[in-house]
Amino acid sequence: MPRYLVERTFTEGLQIPVNDTGAAVCRSVVSNNAEELVTWVHSYVNEDKTKTFCIYDGPSPEAIRRAAGRNNLPVDSITEVRVLDPYFYK
Amino acid sequence: MSAHLLERDLFLENLAGLLEEAARGTGRCVLISGEAGIGKSALIECFSELHGGSARFYLGRCEALFTPRPLGPLHDIAQQLHGRMRELLEHEADRAAIFSTFLDALGDSPIPTVAIIEDVHWADEATLDLLKFLGRRVQHVPVLLIITYRDDEIGPDHPLWFVLGDLPSRTTRRLHLPPLSRDAVAALARGAHRTGNDLYKVTAGNPFFVTEVLASDEEGVPETIRDAVLARIARISPQGHDVLELASVVPARTDLWLLKTILPEPSSAIEECIRAGILRPELDAVAFRHELARQAVESTLPPFRLRELHAEVLRALLDNGGEPATVARLVHHAALAGDGAAVLRFAPDAARQAAQQGAHREAAILYGIALRYAEVLPQAQRAELLEGRAYECYLTSQLEGAAEARAAALSIWRELGEGDKVGRSLRWLSRLSWFLADKAAAERYAAEAVATLEALPPSRELAMAYSNLAQLRMLEENVSGAAHWGMRALDLAESLGDDEIIAHALNNVGAAQFTYGDEDGYRRLEASLHIALERGFEEHAARAFTNLGSGAVKLRQYARASRYLDDGISYCAERDLDSWRLYMAGWRARLRLEVGDWAGAADEAAEVLAGYRVSPVIRIPALVVLAWVRLRRGDPGSQPLLDEVRELALKTGEPQRILPVAAARAEAAWLRGDRAACQAEARAGYELASTDTDSWDLGQLHYWLWKTGDPPDMPLGLPEPYIFQFTGDWRAAAAAWVRIGCPYEQALALAEGDAKARRSALAIFDRLGARATSERLQQQQGAGHVHGNSRGPRPSTRGNPAGLTNQQLEVLLLMAGGLHNAEIAATLHVSPKTVEHHVSAVLAKLNARSRAQAVTQAHNMGVISKIGGPRRQI
Repeated sequence: MPRYLVERTFTEGLQIPVNDTGAAVCRSVVSNNAEELVTWVHSYVNEDKTKTFCIYDGPSPEAIRRAAGRNNLPVDSITEVRVLDPYFYK
Repeated sequence: MSAHLLERDLFLENLAGLLEEAARGTGRCVLISGEAGIGKSALIECFSELHGGSARFYLGRCEALFTPRPLGPLHDIAQQLHGRMRELLEHEADRAAIFSTFLDALGDSPIPTVAIIEDVHWADEATLDLLKFLGRRVQHVPVLLIITYRDDEIGPDHPLWFVLGDLPSRTTRRLHLPPLSRDAVAALARGAHRTGNDLYKVTAGNPFFVTEVLASDEEGVPETIRDAVLARIARISPQGHDVLELASVVPARTDLWLLKTILPEPSSAIEECIRAGILRPELDAVAFRHELARQAVESTLPPFRLRELHAEVLRALLDNGGEPATVARLVHHAALAGDGAAVLRFAPDAARQAAQQGAHREAAILYGIALRYAEVLPQAQRAELLEGRAYECYLTSQLEGAAEARAAALSIWRELGEGDKVGRSLRWLSRLSWFLADKAAAERYAAEAVATLEALPPSRELAMAYSNLAQLRMLEENVSGAAHWGMRALDLAESLGDDEIIAHALNNVGAAQFTYGDEDGYRRLEASLHIALERGFEEHAARAFTNLGSGAVKLRQYARASRYLDDGISYCAERDLDSWRLYMAGWRARLRLEVGDWAGAADEAAEVLAGYRVSPVIRIPALVVLAWVRLRRGDPGSQPLLDEVRELALKTGEPQRILPVAAARAEAAWLRGDRAACQAEARAGYELASTDTDSWDLGQLHYWLWKTGDPPDMPLGLPEPYIFQFTGDWRAAAAAWVRIGCPYEQALALAEGDAKARRSALAIFDRLGARATSERLQQQQGAGHVHGNSRGPRPSTRGNPAGLTNQQLEVLLLMAGGLHNAEIAATLHVSPKTVEHHVSAVLAKLNARSRAQAVTQAHNMGVISKIGGPRRQI
C-alpha cells in the first residue's frame, strides 16, 4: 500500500487532551480509518498546533479523503512519499 | 466425527460469530479457501457438529465431472429443502425466479440457515451466477452462506475470480486455511507414536498428507501425497484394489449397486476398504475419504484401463433399470471412455440443457466434445452442432472459437445450398469480426450477408442483417449510414412483426441520431427501451439505457442523463448484468465529474476499476475521470492513470475514446506548468478530429491550444460557451457554463476576467477542491498579468499600455532575451512565419524601427522589467 503525507491546517489549533476523552478520540479515528483500509502511522505537529503533517498508509488518495471526512479532519494536500535517509546510499 | 481439529479454533470462532450475525437477520457470506487437503471439509463438518442444534445445515457439492451438472449444488440442496423448490426446478425455466425462490426458501426459518457449497473451483457457469446472486443478497436473510474452494486449482483465468471479486466486501468474509505448524504436526506424530521432524519437512504441514502418512505402517515418510495414499493401500487385497480402481473413476461417490453390478461379489472387499480407512460409507454408496486419495488411485491406472473402466460404468448406468443417471454423468463416462456413439447420443442434449440453465461454458464444452465425434453425422446436423458451439462460445467471450465454428458451419451451409442459413452465418461472422477488431472483415461479411439474403424472400434474417450494418455504422459514428440501414431493418421488422429486431434497429438509428442532439433520435431510443422493458429483452434494455444515458451526458443534458443512468444501473444490478452496469457507472462517474460532484465521481470510477478483468472499453472512461479528479485536486496517482488510459485508448483507434484522454493529459501538463507538453498533447488529439468528432471534445482540446497561445482557426459548430471563450467574451462564456451546469469550466472562464471574476473563480475552485488549478492560477496572478488572454477584439488588450496581445508580448520577451526568429519559433512551437508576423506587429505597436529599439521602448513603458522576469500571463 502506498504511503502518503497529508498536510492539515487547524485554524483554532488542534487540541487532543491527554486523558480518557483524548484516548477515545484517537480510537474512533483509528476505527473510522479502518473502514477505509487506511492506517494512521504518526503525525508531526508545529509548535502552535495549527499545522500537522500526517503519515498514512492507504489504498488511494480518495480513501484518505473519505477517512478524513469520517473523522471531520481537514485535508490541505496529499503527497505520496517514500523513505529516504542517509543510510540509503550505503 | 468428533476428532479435535488442531489449530482451527480461531476459524471456528469466526464462523460462530458470523452465524450469530446471520441469526440476527443480517446474513453473511464466507469464502473458505486453501490448498487441497488443508481440511476445508473437516472444518465444516466440525462446525456443523458444534452448531447443528441451533441452525439448519444444507450441503451442496460441485463435482469434478467432464462438464459439471448445471446448478448441481442447487439441486442437491433443493432435495434437502422440503417444499416448493423441487417442483419449481422441474417446471420453471426462468432463472431469476429459481434463484429468488431459492434464496427465500433458505431464509424462511425461525432458526438461522447455513448453506454450504463446496469445491466451487469445479462449479459450472450457472452455479457461479448463483453464487454471485446469493452473495450479493444474503445480507437480507438469516443465512450463513459458506463457499469453499481450492485456491491452488484456479489459474488467473479461472471464471471463479469474477465471482469472488464481485462479492460485496462488507458482508463477505474470507478465511484462508493455513497448513499445520511444526508443533501441531509433532503433536499428531506423538499421538501415533512416530517422530515428527521428517514428517513436517515433507508434508509441509498439509493435514491430509500428515494423516495419510501416520495411518500407514511404513517406517519412512513418502515423498508425496500420492505415495502416502498408495502406501496406505499397499496391503489391500486384489479384490479390494478392484473396488478402489472402479470407485476411482466415478467422481464424488460410487453407488453400491454399481459396484455390485460390475464386480463379482464385492461386499467383503468393500468392507475391507472401509476398515482400512480409504473409503467411507455413505447412503447406499461409498466415497473416497478425500478427493486426493481418489486421484492417487486413478493415477495408477494406465490410459487403456481407464477407458475400459469408464466404458463399464457407462454400460452399467445405461442398462440399469432403476434411477436414471444424470446426463452430466453419462457424458462424463462416455467422453472419458472415448465412446463416440454414446457421446453423440448424450452430449448434444446435455449441451442444450446446460445452455437453457445458463451454464454456457459447459454448453460450449459439450458441443465441442460432440463435434469431435461428429464426422459420422449428416452434414446438416453437424452444422447445427457447430452453430450451437459458436453461439455458446460467443456468450462466454471465446470469440476465436466462435468464429472458427461459425466459419465451418458456413462452408457446410454453402455446400448444401441453404441460402438463409448462409446469410445468418455471414451476419454472425460480421459481428464476431468486429469484436475481434477486424473491421475490414466485419464490413465484408456484413455486405455479403445482405446480398445473399436479399436474393431470397424477405425474412427475419434479412432484417437482422440490415440491423447489423446499421450497428456497424453507429459504432463508426456515421449517422446517415446508421439511419439508412436502420430504417430498412425497421421497415422489414415492422412488416414481420418482430419486436426484437424492431427494438434493436430503433436503438441503432436512435443512438446515431441522438449523438447530434436530434430529438428524433431520443424518441427512437425511448421507443426501443419501452419495447425491451415490456417484452423482457434484457440485453436490449441495457443497451437502450446505456445509449440514452451516455448520449445525454455527451450532450451535457445532465438531468436527463442522470435519470437514465440511475434507472439503467439499478435495472442491471437487479439482473446481475455486470458489463452493462459497469459501463453505465463509468458514464455516471463522468457526469458527476462534470457537475462538480468529484467525491462521487472518484468513488464510482474506483468501483468500475475494481471490477475483475473489465474490458478496456469500460475501463477507459473510469480511468480518465479518476485521473481528472486527482490532477485537479493535486492528489498523487494521476500520471500512471493517464499513461495507462492513453495506451488503452490508442489501441481502440477510436477518436471518441482518444480525445478525452488527450484533453486530460493536456490539462495535466498545464497544471504542471509545462506549456509545451500541454500544446503537444492537445495537438495530438486535435489531429485525429474529423467532421464526425464530438464538438464538446473538440472544444475542450481547442481550449488548451487557445490557453497556451497557439490556437488554430476556430472550427465551425463548436458549442456556445467555447465560442464565447475564444472570442474573448469571458462573461458570456461563464454564464453559458452556468446554464449548462459545469462549475469547473465556469470558473476557468471567470479566471480570464477582471479581479472580481477571478476572486469568484478561486472561490469555486475552493468549493470543488481544485487545489492544483487554484494554485496555478494564483501563480500566474502573483507574477502580475496582462489583461485578457486571447487574440480577440481590442477590449481585451486595452489595459495594456502598448496594446500588445499575449503572444506578441511573449515574442517581445524572447527578443529581449536575444533570440533570433528561428529560436523564438522553436521555443513557442509556432512557425517562423508566425514569429515574423508577431515581430512586425510588436515593432509597429511600440513605434520602433528595430528589435533593439523595441526592447528599450518596452522597458521604458513598463511592459517588461529588467529584473525578475516579466509581468505577464501565460
